[in-house]
Amino acid sequence: MPITSYLALSAILFSLGLYGVLTKRNAVVVLFCIELMLNAANINLVAFSKYGLYANQTGHVFTLFTITVAAAEAAVGIAILIALYRNRNSVKADHYNMMKG
Amino acid sequence: MEKYLLDYNWTVMAPELTILVAAALLTVIDLLMKKETDRRILGWMGIMAVATAGAFTLWRVGKPPYEILSDTYRVDDFALAFKLILLAGTALVLLAFLREIRKEGEHVGGEYIYLLLTALLGGMILTSSADLITLFVGLELLSLSSYVLACIRRKRLPSNEAAWKYFITGSVSSAFILYGMSFVYGLSGTTNLYMAQKRLYEAFNSGYESFVLLSLFLMLLGFGFKVASAPFHMWVPDVYQGAPTPVTAFLAVVSKTAAFAFVLRVLLVTYLFLYETGPWQDVVGPALLVLSAVSMVVGNTGALRQSQTKRLMAYSSVAHAGYLLVPLAVISGGMLFESTVYYLMAYLLMTLGAFTVLNVVEQDGKTGDVAAFAGLSRRNPLLAVAMTVFLVSLAGIPVTAGFFGKFYILIHAITGQTFWIAAVMVITTVISYFYYFKIIRMMYFRPSSKGRFAIPFGAVAVILVSLTGTIFFGLFPQWTLDFIGQLDWVSTLSPVGTQHQ
Repeated sequence: MPITSYLALSAILFSLGLYGVLTKRNAVVVLFCIELMLNAANINLVAFSKYGLYANQTGHVFTLFTITVAAAEAAVGIAILIALYRNRNSVKADHYNMMKG
Repeated sequence: MEKYLLDYNWTVMAPELTILVAAALLTVIDLLMKKETDRRILGWMGIMAVATAGAFTLWRVGKPPYEILSDTYRVDDFALAFKLILLAGTALVLLAFLREIRKEGEHVGGEYIYLLLTALLGGMILTSSADLITLFVGLELLSLSSYVLACIRRKRLPSNEAAWKYFITGSVSSAFILYGMSFVYGLSGTTNLYMAQKRLYEAFNSGYESFVLLSLFLMLLGFGFKVASAPFHMWVPDVYQGAPTPVTAFLAVVSKTAAFAFVLRVLLVTYLFLYETGPWQDVVGPALLVLSAVSMVVGNTGALRQSQTKRLMAYSSVAHAGYLLVPLAVISGGMLFESTVYYLMAYLLMTLGAFTVLNVVEQDGKTGDVAAFAGLSRRNPLLAVAMTVFLVSLAGIPVTAGFFGKFYILIHAITGQTFWIAAVMVITTVISYFYYFKIIRMMYFRPSSKGRFAIPFGAVAVILVSLTGTIFFGLFPQWTLDFIGQLDWVSTLSPVGTQHQ
């Protein structure tokens, strides 16, 4: 059954993304890792629209929506990162530790 | 029969269209205005738009449910009730913080207003979606607008840092929700929630139990972040502290309400069969109960250590998310929608009132520390009385809205035979008295070197509305509950075509 390999690929991508978000120190890499997680879901959707229990076109439509949303999300993320960089002069995520407690 | 665009009754979408048009218009007007012009006029226009949308929403209440755009968008009493809470919250936030628009010598301009409106629009789409795609788009519209709002004072480091943390945790939770949704689609081949329920039921009975539960738990992880429940609460204190106070108030009230509407809709419509066939009682219910109990404990004990008022409110908001999860976890109590909506209404009033007072006091004291409240009872006695009512209500002491909100949830838990969660709720509520009374003690028993100060008009109006509401809901809880009970909650659970069978 071919679907298992697609599901395995997306699960690996999702886990890699999550691992990166939790451990990476570079803020830009953290942004990439979030994209990785969203794209893992996209692979799932496209795979399911070909090999799912009820295969149909809706998965492709859903993917188009999520790709658009992910692009907007990346834009907002980079904008926030630039604002932060101007004030903090660092892209190390562990330097963003003004608030604690 | 083929249905054309104009065959639909578009008036059901009037509230959303009003907000959409207002947000677009305000964007253009803001561009055309001179840089030094006072932007408060935009704030008033925003309030008028929200009020108009509220009137349209009220006008729909009590009418039969209606589905539009090939059943992706659904207007029923569930959606309308939540929309009214969202609209009221946004209107009060706009009114309370009108003066904030031109603060701190920085050009904050109109973005604040129309981003609030787009966030509100996202929340409204979220409450009345009956389809995974529209749910996801609504969720992201709400989240993306909130990220930008948190960063709106872009030259202040705490604001940037709060926005960054909010963005990272929010995006990860969105990714979890989307990953869960992809499994729902894979098992059901549809994105419609009602159709998905039927197909998931079939899949569940033909050997895909683990995948059905996997999709549910992936989404639950994301929901946990969005409603700010422990153990997914790490972002809450930092974001609440760093974001500008108007935005914090918006996140605490509107964002949380929208997230709860989302959770209720998805869990009750798509996964209700789990309740009828059993796994809900074995797996899902206990998981939700643990989430809620951990939130109550972590929120209420975490708040004890805080000296920053906004951080304290953040932990209190985590605790309130815990209380709000109880009715959903214990479905069999019989008052699921009534107690949740009542609590959300009470929470809206007392939280917004408290944040408005907090903002006024912080601006005067130039510090976010609880010490800013010192001697408030002598500097401004009426303000101190109002804050006391809000805090007493948040703590859940009788004759306030907050007490009856907690009371109904407690009754729900006891009727549902889940005694241990009721016990946790009572104990943590008692713990919460300590930190709420810390502020009250500050206000009444600490001397202050400062004099009286003026409160802006919008803030006075919001404090009065919240105060009246908190006391009114506390004095006549049954009247309010009867009103909520009259709404047609059962129709939420079935698609439009099958109502009359």
